[in-house]
Amino acid sequence: MKKFLMTLLSLIMVVAMVASCAPSTPAKPTDPATTQAPDASEPGGEEPTEPAGKVYKVVNLVNGTLGDRSFFDSAEAGLAELAAAGRISYRTIEMGGDDEDQPKWLSTLYEVSESGEYDLIVCGTYQMPDYLNEVAAEYPDQKYLIYDSEGDGDNIVNINYKQNDMGYLVGVFAGAMTLETDLNNINDKSVVGFVGGIDSPVINDFLYGFLLGAQYANEDIKVDTRYVNSYVDPARAKELALSMINDNGCDIIWGVAGNSGNGAAEAALETGKAWFIGVDSDQELTLSKELAAITLTSGLKNIGNSIVWFFDELDAGREHYGENILLGIPEGGVGIVTDKNYATYATDEIKALVAEATEGIVNGSIEVPTAIGDTTGAAESLRDSLQP
Amino acid sequence: MSGFWSTVFNADFVFAIFRITAPILFAALGAIIAEKAGVTNIGLDGMMSISALFGTLISYWTQSWLVGVLGAVLVGMILGLMMGFFALRLRTDIILTGIAMNMLGGGGTIFLLYMFTGLRGNTSSLSSPNILIPTLNIPVLKDIPVLGSIFSGHSVLTYLAFILVFVVRFMLNRTSTGLNIRAVGENSDAARSVGISVKRVQYIALIMSGALAGFGGAFMSMYYSQSWNVGMIAGRGFIALAAEAMGRSQPVGAMFSSLIFGFAQALETRVSGIQGVSSFLVAAIPYLVTIIGLVVFVWSSRRKADKRRRQISTSDWE
Repeated sequence: MKKFLMTLLSLIMVVAMVASCAPSTPAKPTDPATTQAPDASEPGGEEPTEPAGKVYKVVNLVNGTLGDRSFFDSAEAGLAELAAAGRISYRTIEMGGDDEDQPKWLSTLYEVSESGEYDLIVCGTYQMPDYLNEVAAEYPDQKYLIYDSEGDGDNIVNINYKQNDMGYLVGVFAGAMTLETDLNNINDKSVVGFVGGIDSPVINDFLYGFLLGAQYANEDIKVDTRYVNSYVDPARAKELALSMINDNGCDIIWGVAGNSGNGAAEAALETGKAWFIGVDSDQELTLSKELAAITLTSGLKNIGNSIVWFFDELDAGREHYGENILLGIPEGGVGIVTDKNYATYATDEIKALVAEATEGIVNGSIEVPTAIGDTTGAAESLRDSLQP
Repeated sequence: MSGFWSTVFNADFVFAIFRITAPILFAALGAIIAEKAGVTNIGLDGMMSISALFGTLISYWTQSWLVGVLGAVLVGMILGLMMGFFALRLRTDIILTGIAMNMLGGGGTIFLLYMFTGLRGNTSSLSSPNILIPTLNIPVLKDIPVLGSIFSGHSVLTYLAFILVFVVRFMLNRTSTGLNIRAVGENSDAARSVGISVKRVQYIALIMSGALAGFGGAFMSMYYSQSWNVGMIAGRGFIALAAEAMGRSQPVGAMFSSLIFGFAQALETRVSGIQGVSSFLVAAIPYLVTIIGLVVFVWSSRRKADKRRRQISTSDWE
């Protein structure tokens, strides 16, 4: 009896595993290009005459869940746009974002790579490179795209974003806005705030641009920088922001700390003495009505745009596998929200100043240094010198 | 340097200590009651996370903060009952049950949030001022210069946390329920021999523990932060366990140790705004303060024990 039960159980497990590995039916009706998809993982360079209208099969691995209204949703939106234009067919797998889910990330990567049915496997965030490197080395013919992080391999394209450029624009805006004392909540001190997630190169890259941009707009600017040391603890971010507002007179705070950032917005709202600036996605759309009302703008990382850009390049015959791509303002990789509250509260001079800075970065007259890979500690020493 | 002292030690600073302490204190009281009954509740963090979620959701559905808080407490009690069911009825290990509760607080809440609202990750789009726990300005006190800005204007739950310290103390020392709880925790066989239903008492203790975690959760998502997000309890349930241990499972002791944690975090917040101080060093402050607190605690209890021993030995001489 026991033996029978064991056999039955293992049979069920095998069936379940096979079922979960089985490809789901693609969203698009099959056309010749998709049916050939498994072979298309060969380097496309061998078929230069391939029509531009090729429909790629893509799988989007989300190491979290959709609905974050940030990176994952942005990537999904970009893929949906491509699919709507008939350029790709794709499938999204949500792998979950908890510690317990991490083993699933690796096995899912292996699974979709082994299946060989996708032209491109998309994943992202700083948590994925280790898993990706392992799997990509095993499947040299499979192509991968990782956004906002860096893998290592000839079959991986790494897409990153010039958050320093984005920070610069936000800094120019904040540095100029803190002088507009006629506006509610803006005091006569030239102090703005930065609530970062963790004192790390990526966060400091946002910060570096922010500091330089604020200085560009306002020579006397002071920037109060503090770190939450967590991306999911809004209560702690709120404590920091309250102290920044009450003790140092910050009247504009940029929160670059994931969910924690919302705590800074709440502090601004509760004290009624400050404004908030969002990050990564347009937070005026994601925060509650009251919080959105005090959110002046958001710095944007457009993951979706960057994926569209990648396929534009691919269709134009340019492959970027094995490269580290850094997308900035011209490619639509980063930007700043310029409608809603920005349009309402920013004066024409400030809008012109931000436009000028944008222009300067695009044409190269303004070069924003980066904190990533910088060993001189320039960003840190600038940060310390601007601390009020 | 004078600037440092005035930013660090002002009325705002002391006010912040109470605000930071409150959620830890709720959970620490919950830990005490469970510990006293011999059922260590290490699932407080998860319980807080789940009840924080339901606090937000229920207040959103009913558009009433009070119903939201009561809902969070009720959910906490149900979770306590659930822990009891597994640990007492099905005889799972109480520590493992606590771990399971914490895991439920991590992954399970995302599922629940999605199931009820279709949102994933956080509820920041649901929040509005009328469903947040209000603050209380105490009539005469609020006009007194420094004291007013320290003790007046806290949330209703902050006051409740400190009142509950004495309620729990009274309950444990003066009521039959409390005495039963302590008897069961000290020696369950002895308690059983005098006709106390051990399981029943432990169920009650876990339910009370859950209710207190529920208050802590509501505080987190309906006052401290204005919305719920994954992981927002950020280990406060575990800090509470440390506070309970440092306070020797006594409500007033736990209050003081919770205040030490609150002080440490408030200090960290202020110091991180000082020019040239490394954020990595600052992040170590709460741990440093904890270690110092433990050393002082051990030292003072040793001294007390020595004194007692000396007294005993001198009385032997007489």
